[in-house]
Amino acid sequence: MTKTTQQDELTQREYKYGFVTDIETEQFPKGLNEEIIRLLSERKKEPAWMLEWRLKAYRHWTTMKEPHWANIHYDPIDYQAVTYYSAPKKGKDKAQSLEEVDQELLKTFERLGIPLSEQKRLTGVAVDAVFDSVSVATTHQSELAKLGIIFCSMSEAISHHPELVKKYMGSVVPYSDNFFATLNSAVFSDGSFCYIPKSVRCPLELSTYFRINAADSGQFERTLIVAEDDSYVSYLEGCTAPMRERNQLHAAVVELIALNNAEIKYSTVQNWYSGDKEGRGGIYNFVTKRGKCVGVNSKISWTQVEAGAAITWKYPSVILQGDHSVGKFYSVALTNNRMQADTGTKMIHIGKNTKSTIISKGISTDHSNNNYRGLVKILPSADGARNFSQCDSMLVGNNCSANTFPYIEVRNTTAVMEHEASTSKISAEQLFYLRSRGLDLEGAVSLIINGFCKEVFKELPLEFSVEAVRLLEMKLEGSVG
Amino acid sequence: MSATNGKSITLSSKLQDIDFGTKASVPGWLRQLRCEGRERFNQMGIPSVKDEEWKYTNVTPLAERQFHFPMEFALKEKALLKHYLNPQETNIVLVNGVYSEEFSNVKNLVKGLTVTNLTVQADNAQLKKLINLFPSTYPDVFAALNNALLQEGIFIQIDDATVVQKVIHVVHVANPTNHDTIIVPRTLISIGKSAQVDILESHVGFSSGAYFANALTDILIKENAAAHYCKAQAESKGAYHIGSTRIWQKRDSNLETFSLTVGGTLTRNNLNIILEEPGTTTFLHGLYTMKEEQHVDNHTCVEHRAPNCTSNQLYKGILDQHSRAVFNGKIIVSREAQQTNSYQLNKNLMLGSDCRIDTKPQLEIFADDVKCTHGATIGQLNEDEIFYLKSRNIPQDLAVRILARGFVDDILNRLPNQSICEKLNQLLSSAIDVLK
Repeated sequence: MTKTTQQDELTQREYKYGFVTDIETEQFPKGLNEEIIRLLSERKKEPAWMLEWRLKAYRHWTTMKEPHWANIHYDPIDYQAVTYYSAPKKGKDKAQSLEEVDQELLKTFERLGIPLSEQKRLTGVAVDAVFDSVSVATTHQSELAKLGIIFCSMSEAISHHPELVKKYMGSVVPYSDNFFATLNSAVFSDGSFCYIPKSVRCPLELSTYFRINAADSGQFERTLIVAEDDSYVSYLEGCTAPMRERNQLHAAVVELIALNNAEIKYSTVQNWYSGDKEGRGGIYNFVTKRGKCVGVNSKISWTQVEAGAAITWKYPSVILQGDHSVGKFYSVALTNNRMQADTGTKMIHIGKNTKSTIISKGISTDHSNNNYRGLVKILPSADGARNFSQCDSMLVGNNCSANTFPYIEVRNTTAVMEHEASTSKISAEQLFYLRSRGLDLEGAVSLIINGFCKEVFKELPLEFSVEAVRLLEMKLEGSVG
Repeated sequence: MSATNGKSITLSSKLQDIDFGTKASVPGWLRQLRCEGRERFNQMGIPSVKDEEWKYTNVTPLAERQFHFPMEFALKEKALLKHYLNPQETNIVLVNGVYSEEFSNVKNLVKGLTVTNLTVQADNAQLKKLINLFPSTYPDVFAALNNALLQEGIFIQIDDATVVQKVIHVVHVANPTNHDTIIVPRTLISIGKSAQVDILESHVGFSSGAYFANALTDILIKENAAAHYCKAQAESKGAYHIGSTRIWQKRDSNLETFSLTVGGTLTRNNLNIILEEPGTTTFLHGLYTMKEEQHVDNHTCVEHRAPNCTSNQLYKGILDQHSRAVFNGKIIVSREAQQTNSYQLNKNLMLGSDCRIDTKPQLEIFADDVKCTHGATIGQLNEDEIFYLKSRNIPQDLAVRILARGFVDDILNRLPNQSICEKLNQLLSSAIDVLK
């Protein structure tokens, strides 16, 4: 093997999703103004109320300042140098069947391990594939429709189910929520919409796969999931992007609404391109994710594996409004090279006897910086509220840092709250024990890391759990020893 | 002293150069310190709740009030103080910020221990080093205010290899005759190499009026020394107490601190410890019992700057009625500080009807070979335990007190010095004995 191919292989192994799909795209000029938003809305054939909403958000956004309270450092983002819309040219209207989808695109998702052709599908997973700014295909729609489940792209939902979108969009994350959510409200291009009717248990795992392909473009998707009374849905999200020298912006919004006795499970395996060893390139991931347990006995759980992106700024939260509602947050955040992650959760207890659990595991290697930032707020109305939080960090190497910033605010005297956190490294004893039993160094480290993250992995759906373990092993390769 | 009679300040406006008496008698270093403090204070200003360090404690009401400098320095309620002092110990008493000859007994001190008035010290190298231990640019606005308004202070020096058997008890008594008085207690302690000492610093108030105590204590613990330092705060009901304790630990030194807060309407305790050299051990214990509308805010910051240091922190609190507690514990482990062990725990017991607790245990870690943990709990008394006691004919209120006692004794019993322990119990009983 020649030296170059060896090198190629190594880089490939570091980020195997870093390829670029050569596909003709339609792009808007760079920059953001009301014209761009009007053009975007027109291109998507949106009703007037949607455009109004976007403009309202945009006007508000121009009055806002970018937040800098998080423990992350980056060069200022020039919001006028971003392309806010980029879509594959062929089939401007969404394909009705898979035959109509561009073969290049299908191949791209094939390479990413997401077969869109339904015959070859993973059993029990329906996929909505989002490429740059548009959704290119959604599988299993007819099967789901029989049960009354709506699973489609956001653009489709706006034109086909405007009453639902109107009712719920912005009810959890209002357009004025924060800088990045407001930007998203103004320019969001696509995303998934999912509606589970009363008493329906969704038989498939619903899943959206996000892919950024175009250079200098940003991805601004918006996901909305509504679970009616007594329903259940499990939802997965995956993301990748090509390796590029320039940073790219990703500002998404996810809203979950759980009514009486409903349960939503939301899992993410985030593997955006994280930049090279010197910290060049990578995705800036500024995401607002929030769920609202509106009904009694409702349940929302967030599970995330954050393994990519140059910067992660993400706090999936749950507002526990309904009595006896339950919020859960399970997270593994791995940072390597020069990645920076400031992530955690917010649990807002409003209803009586509400419960929340937070399990967060941070692994920090090389020159990276990993922060847990969480808020547990128990309001005076939340009698009998209960919270348990655990956030552990592991440091691998001497140039990384791990910080924890938990905020705990309790205003109800009947509440019970426990919080614990630890930071440590892989102990020499543990390594020695495993190595003396014949494991090589990397195998031993991987085993220990898997054990460290087990509580979170077991919350992931099976296929994702396997993928997450592999992802972690791949990322840790070469950083130990 | 009379020069400040009738003078007053408002914290929201810029501090002016205050005439603290005849300028000729003021040593040069003090004049400079006041000047630097004034500049720093004017630069920073009173923090708002938007300031991360003051997120849960609102001090802006203090800013608009007009504070007067104390007028009288004699104590009327002598019996109460006498009851609190043990004549067998080394007592240093300051009334309204001024040293009181009458109550102090600093004669016949053991060899190697010197207690002097800080502000009459001449410009010597030793003092210069101590006073600049924490630079005037230190990001603590109330420490800067203390520097700016410094009139009298206590300087305790323990020479190398001196073992001080008797407890050194520094008592700051606040008994102002006029409303809205400002008192600025200042203590400087230098503990020599291989020295041993027990120090208790009490802030007590015998009037019900509103006053503002802005305390600052700096401690230098040299190589291999062992120190116990306790701060007891039992200010009067209407008092505001904002105090900072800053400690600098050298190689292989041992420190145990204890902070008790029972009094005041608003209390803020800053405790900053810098572990500068390897091999140090530090225990930080704290206890607060709050009732009515009291508010306490404990901010601790332990900075591990060198390898092989251990710090262990436990803060406990009981909240009754409508009180509020804030705990913010920060552990910083710098890149050099390998083999650090650092633990932190904050436990709260809520007994009142609408108490509020905001706790923020925080870790900032830049070294990998460390073991750090932190934890926080908030809860109530166990109903089964109360039932157990009641079924044995113990009335409800007594059952609550017994269990609350158990909760605090766990931490109080860790105090190594019996005499200090008794004093703290004396202050604490007024808070525990009213629980229901």
